[in-house]
Amino acid sequence: MKKISKLLLSITTTALIAGNVMAMSSCSFLPGAGGGNNDDYTNTKVVTGSVNSVAYDGSEVTISFYHTMGEALRTILDNHIVRFNELYPNIKVVHNSYGDYPGVRDQITTEMSGNGTAPSLAYCYPDHVALYNKSKAVLTLDDFINNTEVGFTQEQINDFVPAYYNEGKVYGDDKMYTLPVLKSTEVLYYNKTYFEKNNYQVPTTWDDMETLLGTIATAEAAKGNKCIPLGYDSEANWFITMTEQLGTPYTAIEGDSHFLFNTAENRAFVERFRGWYQNDWVTTEELNGGTYTSNLFKETDPKKLHTYMSIGSSAGAGYQCPTKNNDGTYPFEVGIAMIPQSNPEDPKVISQGPSVCLFKKSNEQEMAAAWLFAKFLTTDIQLQGAMSLNNGYCSAVQSIMNNETYAKQIAKADGNARLQATVIKKTMEMRDYYYVSPAFHGSSAARDEVGLLIQTCFSKDPTGGQTVAQFIESEFAKSVSALSKRYDK
Amino acid sequence: MAKALDFLNTVFVKGFWKTFCVKWVWQTFFCAWVYQAFWKTLIVRKLKFDKWKGWIYLLPAMILLMIFTVWPIFNTLRISMLEGYNSMDVIGGEKFKFGFGNFSTVLKADIFLTCLKNTMLLCILTVPISTFLALLIAVCLNAIRPLRRFLQTIFFLPYVTNSIAIGMVFAAMFNIVGKPSNASLVETWGIMNNILGIFGVEPINWINAGSSYSANIAVLVIYTVWNALPFKILILLGGLQSVNKQYYEAAKIDSTPRWRVFTRITVPMLSPMLAYVIITGFIGGFKEYSNIVGIFGDSMGPVADAGRLNTMVGYIYEIIPDGYYGEASAAALILFAIIFVVTMINLYVSKKKTHY
Amino acid sequence: MSDSINEEVVSEEEITVEETVEPSENQTSALVEGVMHEQNIKNVSNKQAVMKILVQVGLYAFLGIMAFIILFPFYWMLISSVKTLDEYNLATPTLLPRTFDWHNYAEAFNAANLGTLFVNTVYVGLVSTFLSLIITVLSAFAFARLEFKGKNTLFALLLATMMIPGELFTITNYQTVSEFGWLNTYTVLIVPFLVSVFYIYLLKQNFMQIPNELYLAAKVDGTTDLKYLWKVMIPLALPTLISITILKMMGAWNTYMWPKLVTKNKDLYLITIGLRDSFKAPDGGQTDFPVQMAAVTMVSTPLFMVFIFLRKYIMKGVSRSGIKG
Repeated sequence: MKKISKLLLSITTTALIAGNVMAMSSCSFLPGAGGGNNDDYTNTKVVTGSVNSVAYDGSEVTISFYHTMGEALRTILDNHIVRFNELYPNIKVVHNSYGDYPGVRDQITTEMSGNGTAPSLAYCYPDHVALYNKSKAVLTLDDFINNTEVGFTQEQINDFVPAYYNEGKVYGDDKMYTLPVLKSTEVLYYNKTYFEKNNYQVPTTWDDMETLLGTIATAEAAKGNKCIPLGYDSEANWFITMTEQLGTPYTAIEGDSHFLFNTAENRAFVERFRGWYQNDWVTTEELNGGTYTSNLFKETDPKKLHTYMSIGSSAGAGYQCPTKNNDGTYPFEVGIAMIPQSNPEDPKVISQGPSVCLFKKSNEQEMAAAWLFAKFLTTDIQLQGAMSLNNGYCSAVQSIMNNETYAKQIAKADGNARLQATVIKKTMEMRDYYYVSPAFHGSSAARDEVGLLIQTCFSKDPTGGQTVAQFIESEFAKSVSALSKRYDK
Repeated sequence: MAKALDFLNTVFVKGFWKTFCVKWVWQTFFCAWVYQAFWKTLIVRKLKFDKWKGWIYLLPAMILLMIFTVWPIFNTLRISMLEGYNSMDVIGGEKFKFGFGNFSTVLKADIFLTCLKNTMLLCILTVPISTFLALLIAVCLNAIRPLRRFLQTIFFLPYVTNSIAIGMVFAAMFNIVGKPSNASLVETWGIMNNILGIFGVEPINWINAGSSYSANIAVLVIYTVWNALPFKILILLGGLQSVNKQYYEAAKIDSTPRWRVFTRITVPMLSPMLAYVIITGFIGGFKEYSNIVGIFGDSMGPVADAGRLNTMVGYIYEIIPDGYYGEASAAALILFAIIFVVTMINLYVSKKKTHY
Repeated sequence: MSDSINEEVVSEEEITVEETVEPSENQTSALVEGVMHEQNIKNVSNKQAVMKILVQVGLYAFLGIMAFIILFPFYWMLISSVKTLDEYNLATPTLLPRTFDWHNYAEAFNAANLGTLFVNTVYVGLVSTFLSLIITVLSAFAFARLEFKGKNTLFALLLATMMIPGELFTITNYQTVSEFGWLNTYTVLIVPFLVSVFYIYLLKQNFMQIPNELYLAAKVDGTTDLKYLWKVMIPLALPTLISITILKMMGAWNTYMWPKLVTKNKDLYLITIGLRDSFKAPDGGQTDFPVQMAAVTMVSTPLFMVFIFLRKYIMKGVSRSGIKG
């Protein structure tokens, strides 16, 4: 008993002392925090009225930047912030990673709702900007862009991949809200070795794809192999890309309803692909049990479930590469092509990846500094090159190819060993085909909903004597009504 | 009426903070003084201050609760009464009118009934099963000597974990790789089906696309019970060990049969602990969320049936990121009302049955 | 072939024998006690002895099966944590890892500044635990032993607050702490969660089991309430207090949402936030599950240790109170 009470006593004393220290200096109690460490910077409040976009005057200012970067990218960013500070020694950049895009969004919305603060600039997806903009606190960038002192020259604007740059203007008022940082798209990865052996052509249209799927499925089934020829990682991307390729409605910013995707054409392509799924010709990430279809693509044992084609993010090339054999060779070579099209004359591929947006602040210098940093982040060739090569995303600026080191890396791209460089090279060729969907409050919910719609329409059977078409129609109607209830006024 | 409410809103909400802070600081000093005075007076007039004493002991807890629990509740109440309140719109300067609009939105939402049904079902299944199992294990543990400490430690381990991380482990164990609807394309039926296969059970589609609602619920019940056992065992075993051994010795002398000892001595002596684990079990059950996320992910359901397993808290979490605090507050208050009623019933029953 | 089968049978028998030895020893010691207490019981029939042994075997078998069920997910977590990502992704899961990839641990450890994270978490855990214990003991004592106006109403109200999902407090509390200027301090990680109605309830129930006569007797003797609390109530309720300690420490160890919101200074990060980065492949790629499992294992291990260490005190507390009672 004595021992215990002694233990408790000493611990209580410690706690009390600690408690006192805390109470006395609640703001500054840091263990061994030396001077100069200013990471505990608290964001400033946003304002909602009109603000002036003035040029940076060299005064001391701290800006905060929220992003999703992992350890490796953060190190790269830190190194280049040193370079940024050589240009602007009085701008202190405090940056924080919140893991993933919803993480950044939730952090910002909670801060804004809580005490009205926000970072100076943040990684964003279009629908996040639409959400933040309900508060009218997102800064439009046109004044900065057109500013002769700190803005972009026409040359610089033209240097951006046009589709990427135009993504900043999808908010219905033709104003520029975001700048593109790094972008990716979807590509078709195929088993080149297998295709060459069997003399298959890489499909460029969905009709070609249908024929090929039938051929491969029959051939493999005859051999008793477990094969689903095609894997498509993202159901939502598939749906949205199809509406773009077919030119059918998906969503709209204006009008009575945002959600226009319940049309006969859209139901028709879903019914067609449902047939593929039912024939075991195609699987998707979710329908495959939540594991990326790239795992099936990498599988080399024909008696195990595997695919010969995989449609996935160009930034995920590393995951499509098979494991090396013991002798250092690859079991098969990965080929990369554009995804199949409905109209090969007018190809469409999705554009995804982070942009950056700024917030309105009462301190004009904070906005001015944030603008300079956003400009640095999106147009500095060294930083863009380092980030792009690190993860296989595409740079937003085209002149990056003029950079010798970067161009050399891309030129070396060949085969499995440099799959990431290969895919960057390939996506560069597709830069004119990118599309972006309109962004509004509810656009990401629409995205989620059409992904779920594909899952349901593919895998569930009609009940109560419905035909497949009726079943699909009722599912579409359900989805639109659920979205409409929440997001349409 | 609306005017009066608006007036209250401004006075209460805008003025509240300053009053509150002033009051709080004032209260702290005042109470410190009272505390001092209390001890001095106590020596002179012993029992005079008994009426106040309880409150003084509660003071530290009360101050913190006022700031971090009571005030947020008031704020929640206020927000729930502002129709269509969205935190982003608030910054944009939008005004909202007072009313019950949020409550009716929530009650009319399609998924609300689904959430309610799931929540109820999980409570009704998991609380009795986990309580019974925990009681059984605690009694068994109490009846052995060698290895008891070792086993006790093992049974506590699930508590010391992150429910989402272990949920993912469970999901991996029940997961079927391949296409469950076509047996020739199934890669593996998963470790759980493999184990059941030893006993001749046909593979079951637990959590994948096309799985049945009952299979989903079964997995959730297994995981929730696994997760809930340790705390219940700890509490019940603690209770068992503090039961006076003389009762058992008396029973030994009378050579009372074991089950009779169990029902006539163990259960009544444990009744406060049992009441406690049942009530907290119900409250926890109604707030169920992370276990489902752990197994089914944010979609709160198997593929193609997203949202089928959503719960009340899940519903709240779903709308918070979009800033719909009005609806979220209303949903939380409805949830609160339901839990409150269930708990009151529980308390009423246990008061009748509890032996102290 | 047949030989090996025989061997198996033999070994099974051995196991059965071993299993029965322990309980029977236990039984004998219990018997010895019985003999010491009650001279009357001298002859226990064989039948009863066999029954008792069977019951003990049953108990161990039941507990063994349950323990296996409880442990299996941990086994899965551990073996996953040493698998390579490729092996983890294998369609047919391997029961034993082909190669032990300790690299996952190094990766999880290096990805975050784990030393600082541990120190922070322990600091926040300890301080909040002990401040919380003081508050809880005082409150539970008031509810269990003191009579004052509005006690039952107040307690019912407190219980009612337990039923509100925590997320609802977050926004208002975020507002509050930023008004107090507490963002990016240890205070903000500790103070808002010091009072837990849950623990007050738990301890109150325990206090109420201590006979009221003791308190009244102490009062007659002129013992002050605080002294009585310290000398009698706390030692008797020690197991509960230790349970609370464990729960509270675990809270510090697993908390995620709140610290993520209120701390941006990496020197103040708690363990879950720091480790979150190591869970993710760079920029939204596939989650590296083995590294995540390694991280979870590393995060859980100290808690397991704390629990095992404190278990001694629980046992001691129980046995002491047994003798005194």
